[in-house]
Amino acid sequence: MRKKINILYPNDLKVTNNLYPKYPEGHKGHKKGINNLYPKYPEGHKGHKKGTSTLYPNDLKGTRGHKKGINTLRGIKGIKGINKKGDKLLSVYWFAILVIVAVGIVLMVNSFYGKNYDVRAQESKILSQKVADCIYFGGEFNPLLINSQGGFRDDFKDNFLEKCLLNLTINEEFERPPYYVEAEFFSEGNLKKTSFFISEGNKNWKSDCNVTVSGRDKLATCSQNDFFAKTNSNSLYLIKILSIVGKVEENTN
Amino acid sequence: MNKKGELLVENIIFLVLNILFLMILVLFLIKQGSGAVLLEDAYSKNVALLIDSAKPLMSIHLNLQDLKDVSDKNGIPFSDILKIEGNYVTIKLSEKGGTKYHFFNNINVTSYPSKNDGEEGFYVLTFSKIKI
Repeated sequence: MRKKINILYPNDLKVTNNLYPKYPEGHKGHKKGINNLYPKYPEGHKGHKKGTSTLYPNDLKGTRGHKKGINTLRGIKGIKGINKKGDKLLSVYWFAILVIVAVGIVLMVNSFYGKNYDVRAQESKILSQKVADCIYFGGEFNPLLINSQGGFRDDFKDNFLEKCLLNLTINEEFERPPYYVEAEFFSEGNLKKTSFFISEGNKNWKSDCNVTVSGRDKLATCSQNDFFAKTNSNSLYLIKILSIVGKVEENTN
Repeated sequence: MNKKGELLVENIIFLVLNILFLMILVLFLIKQGSGAVLLEDAYSKNVALLIDSAKPLMSIHLNLQDLKDVSDKNGIPFSDILKIEGNYVTIKLSEKGGTKYHFFNNINVTSYPSKNDGEEGFYVLTFSKIKI
């Protein structure tokens, strides 16, 4: 004999077998070929008996036997209501989320593409490499730099840009060069005293190299390149090359 | 209209709006990534860096197909998009546009569109020592 329990306690529902809602009043049941919002009873189900409760919210009003303190689904207006209003509400929130996502993507893309393409780090490395190759290439010092006695030639220093195929000046008038390059030569015996020094370009950029602040990209970009070089007379030199590229406006916002 | 019809129409409208939204987003991203100003800035700097690294007697074949696509749309001849004058690289992809970038390598650079087979959209850069 079926136990009549009118509460929505899950274990009881299994026993009462009432998970299928009753037809509303006036509903004549299923006809062949007509899809219905109300599910068909499975085979073997004998339908609702009087007094049994279902999950159909309108029927819940008529359920009997609930004790005080037991929560029921009385507050819900009906499955039809949930589908219509709930779906519309969901679409509004869905589009609100889409708009938020779109605004986020637009802001991110603008912040990414809005910034100038900063190539100063690469440029300063190329400049430093080019100066290094000009001074010492293929295991030998530039013959224009070292004289027959093994000393450094001052005319190389005077025509450094021309000898190393560099053009640091820009065509615009009253504009300082956006570059600075220097090469320091230290002999093996004394690494603290400079034996030979070459510098070209705008020296004002040099102060930017030692600054460590948050807005570092608004300053010039520096690159240091150190290497050892040996002359034909077996004298060893430490050569430190510092290259700096300004071009702040072209590479930052 | 019956309930079945309402549900179908609502779902179709919802799907169409979603697809429309995603398409607009994708188009926006593609347009941002292939904008003339952005390409001019990036390519002028990249070409300047290439020239800075170059040595006399070198020859570089440069693929500028991306630039050609944009310049064709804007009615700029491919032969006019890259100019190298007075240590400046200038890339121009639109009538009003044009971005230039300075390079420090004191070298003679000649640039022209490649006429080799299979190199449509390529530029050739040849380098030689400046005669004093």
